[in-house]
Amino acid sequence: MTWTGLVVRNLFRHPLRTLFTTLAIALAIFLVCAVLTLPAALQAIFDRAASNVRVSVHHKAGLVYWLPFAFVQKVRTLPGVTAVNHWTWFGGVYDEPKNMFPNFAVDPDNVGEMWPDYRIDAVALDRFRKVRNGAVVGDVTMRKFGWRVDQEVTLRGTIFPVDLTFRIVGVIPSTTGNAVILLFNRKYLEEAMEDHGGLKNVGMIWLRAERPSDVDGIMRGVDALFRNSEAEVAAETEKAFFASMFSSMQGFIRIILAVGFLSVAAVVLIAANTSAMGVRERTPEIAILKSLGFRRAPILGGLLAESLAQALVGGLLGAGGAIAMSAALRAAGTSAYAQVLGPLGSFRMSPMVAGEGIAIALTVGLVAGLVPAWNGARLNVVEALRRLF
Amino acid sequence: MASGDRFAKLARMIDVRDVSRVYTRGADTVHALEHVSLHIDTGRFVALMGPSGSGKSTLLHLLAGLDRPDTGEVVVAGERLSALDEDALATWRSRHVGLVFQFYNLLPVLSAIENVELPLLLTDLKRRERRERAEIALRVVGLAGRAHHRPQQLSGGEQQRVAIARAIVTDPDLLVADEPTGDLDAKSAEEILGLLRELNRAFQKTIVMVTHDPRGVRFVDAVVRLDKGVLVNGAAA
Repeated sequence: MTWTGLVVRNLFRHPLRTLFTTLAIALAIFLVCAVLTLPAALQAIFDRAASNVRVSVHHKAGLVYWLPFAFVQKVRTLPGVTAVNHWTWFGGVYDEPKNMFPNFAVDPDNVGEMWPDYRIDAVALDRFRKVRNGAVVGDVTMRKFGWRVDQEVTLRGTIFPVDLTFRIVGVIPSTTGNAVILLFNRKYLEEAMEDHGGLKNVGMIWLRAERPSDVDGIMRGVDALFRNSEAEVAAETEKAFFASMFSSMQGFIRIILAVGFLSVAAVVLIAANTSAMGVRERTPEIAILKSLGFRRAPILGGLLAESLAQALVGGLLGAGGAIAMSAALRAAGTSAYAQVLGPLGSFRMSPMVAGEGIAIALTVGLVAGLVPAWNGARLNVVEALRRLF
Repeated sequence: MASGDRFAKLARMIDVRDVSRVYTRGADTVHALEHVSLHIDTGRFVALMGPSGSGKSTLLHLLAGLDRPDTGEVVVAGERLSALDEDALATWRSRHVGLVFQFYNLLPVLSAIENVELPLLLTDLKRRERRERAEIALRVVGLAGRAHHRPQQLSGGEQQRVAIARAIVTDPDLLVADEPTGDLDAKSAEEILGLLRELNRAFQKTIVMVTHDPRGVRFVDAVVRLDKGVLVNGAAA
């Protein structure tokens, strides 16, 4: 018989009660870890997806409004601009309407230069330039539909009244920031649209700056260039562009954080109640221990150790579960489920968050166990014995 | 178990000097003990008897160092208990007093031998030594064969034997028992009283036992009677 043995035996006195309390703590810590990961995960998504030398130029009224294609030529003249490309949202679906994914008409000549972070290999880029109906496709989308390089696939137009058949000439690896898109040659779309009034607009223009310090000047230049034009534009860095898309989520994240911490508070109350109940039930035993000569400190320590041990196990389970979830999402994020998961597929839980989760669990154990343990340790043995016998 | 030297040094195990103890229960004041003086020599087996509310258990708690008198002085095994603070009193109890209660009060999560080992956690003994001493104590009370049974697997008499083993495992100077046969059938009660007598005789343990059981009289050296907090039959036992 040892002190540790006594603590462990007491923990398993009511196995179901211990199990449920531990699971409640584990669940709360799991939630807290997930919630604490959210802001950092979103930041990571922005960081991966965005470059700080790319500037997006789109219609000031919103992304759904077209810009004249002539604007592409105009922005090339701005000082500090090293590359210009553009996106025209084709809105094609594969086989059936639910299979919608981002597909854009672009200029194939400088895709590698504009988006080096997509890590499309040189051979694929070369074929992309040469094959009129060539397309480079994100690895996630490739796997989702079971496509392979050199396969021909047809997308049905939902914005344009044409269906286009593409030959897949290259893949955007899943480790990059945008492994779901399909890029194809704008000229192919222009040709297809000749019988339908032609294609004279563009959805968004991308500029690449030589260095980050040039970006502000370029954005001011874009604003000046198109002020009072037929279509006023908004220019922003790619990071700001994505951030503004997600800005509405910030309030939502704050609510999630609050709910997460409220759930921890609820668990503290549950655990404290369970602990107090346990101490009340063991009043006779505590009285006997004191009568045997056990002082207040070891009794306080023993009761607190039970509460802390339970919280630690709950914390390890919760944080471990969150790590496992993060790993599973990461794995799923590079699989066919990536589109279903969306940004969740980019979640990464840091060891720091796991540590914070375990620290919170221990705090829960301490707070929940302190008052009952203190009362137990201060038990008046004569009063307790008198009540008992 | 008890050494002959210590037995020789402490001729008087208990000295209660003009002790009074008053409780407040709600608006009522209860005079549990009033000017009680009593001494018990080392090696005696004494029964405290009297009707309910006569102050027997209060006196027993004072002797065991569980409670303090309002006035007067209690000296046990040469120690003036009023001079000790709560923690010091707890330490003193762990070394000098063994307690046996009516309802055994064994920890249900521990086996018999682990229950017996429990008071030894307060000593510097190594784990193996603690286990050896607990085995000896269980042998003394005749329960070596039930060492690894949980309390709920033992009969009332067996549980009380384990409680007695727990009380003697630290080799205390004084054994106090509060109604040790109160929850037992006649046969088990006789066995427990016989065991206490045996411990008293074989190891010169001073035992003070509160009991209502008239059979107890046959086993003890002296009976101290209390009524309404006052000694009825003399101050020496």
